[in-house]
Amino acid sequence: MALINLAAREINYKIVYYGCGLCGKTTNIQYIHRRINPAARGRLVSLATEEERTLYFDFLPLSVGTVKGLRTRFHLYTVPGQSFYNASRTLVLQGTDGVVFVADSQVSRLDENVDSYLNLWDNLRSQGEDLSRLGIVLQMNKRDLSDVFSVSDLSELLNHTDSPVVEACALSGVGVFETLKTVCKQVIAKSTEA
Amino acid sequence: MPSRRGLVISAEQMTLIEAVLERLRMVSGSQFAALVSTSGQPIAVSPQDGRTDTLSLAALAASSFAATRQLAQILSEREFTLLFHEGKEANLHVMQVTDQILLLITFGHETQVGRVRLYTSRALEVLKPALETAENTTGDDRVVNREYSREVGAAIDGLFSGQGDS
Repeated sequence: MALINLAAREINYKIVYYGCGLCGKTTNIQYIHRRINPAARGRLVSLATEEERTLYFDFLPLSVGTVKGLRTRFHLYTVPGQSFYNASRTLVLQGTDGVVFVADSQVSRLDENVDSYLNLWDNLRSQGEDLSRLGIVLQMNKRDLSDVFSVSDLSELLNHTDSPVVEACALSGVGVFETLKTVCKQVIAKSTEA
Repeated sequence: MPSRRGLVISAEQMTLIEAVLERLRMVSGSQFAALVSTSGQPIAVSPQDGRTDTLSLAALAASSFAATRQLAQILSEREFTLLFHEGKEANLHVMQVTDQILLLITFGHETQVGRVRLYTSRALEVLKPALETAENTTGDDRVVNREYSREVGAAIDGLFSGQGDS
């Protein structure tokens, strides 16, 4: 749900990184935080367990500056991937304008990816909003590992909306900004659709 | 068919919000007051001195409030409409204004929680009817249009181009 403040000339959009445990959601956000111009970002907030697994969410606000007189911001969130944290995932998804589904490309993680993908759509549907107005990107992460699914096989399983796909290795940063650019543009395009 | 909802705050609403927050802060003896959306985005703050990390505060308070609402459901309570964190030096008070808007107040020893609650309730009587019209809007074509979309796209390319996916 974009927040448009006409008096302050501000628009805020919310984007959520979703996916199974250890797929690389937090790694994406941490890489963006490290590499983006510090003037364009706020503080990275992480609510994690002592083992550095996400407990509630990570949060990173980004500003793209003033465009046509409107200060435009994207608020990036991650959800906890572990299956038993579904209540937290539902809360973080509230009011989102876009979703990056981060898939772990390894063959051994197939079941977790599919469960997380189905869980995403269950949770989005439960919010009762028009899902065709959401910006969605599928990031296929960990492409540098050896035993991974092909892009077409993973797309068949995890991309029923035919959304843009980005191959990535979040640890080294490959595809991280490409994913961010793609989802931001999707979100803006969807918000301006008639 | 469900539709995507947006939250659009007009200039008139913002003038009212800023006046109410300023007045509330004065009469309640509070240090800081803010309106934030339930999805974690700040709408207005008082004072506007930039000393508080409003973006993080809004995200954390909204999430905390959302978790509190879920706790209410688990306890078969219709809803908890108030969240209060008590500290040694600072206290945080969060109340629901509308379905999509929360009011945050921080205060210290210079006032009392009863006084803050009293004046917050009075502020809600003014804010609630004024803000209900901001909800369930689908956007504002005057500012968010294709030209804006094109220019934001260029700004996104510019901002992220120097980062290069290594």
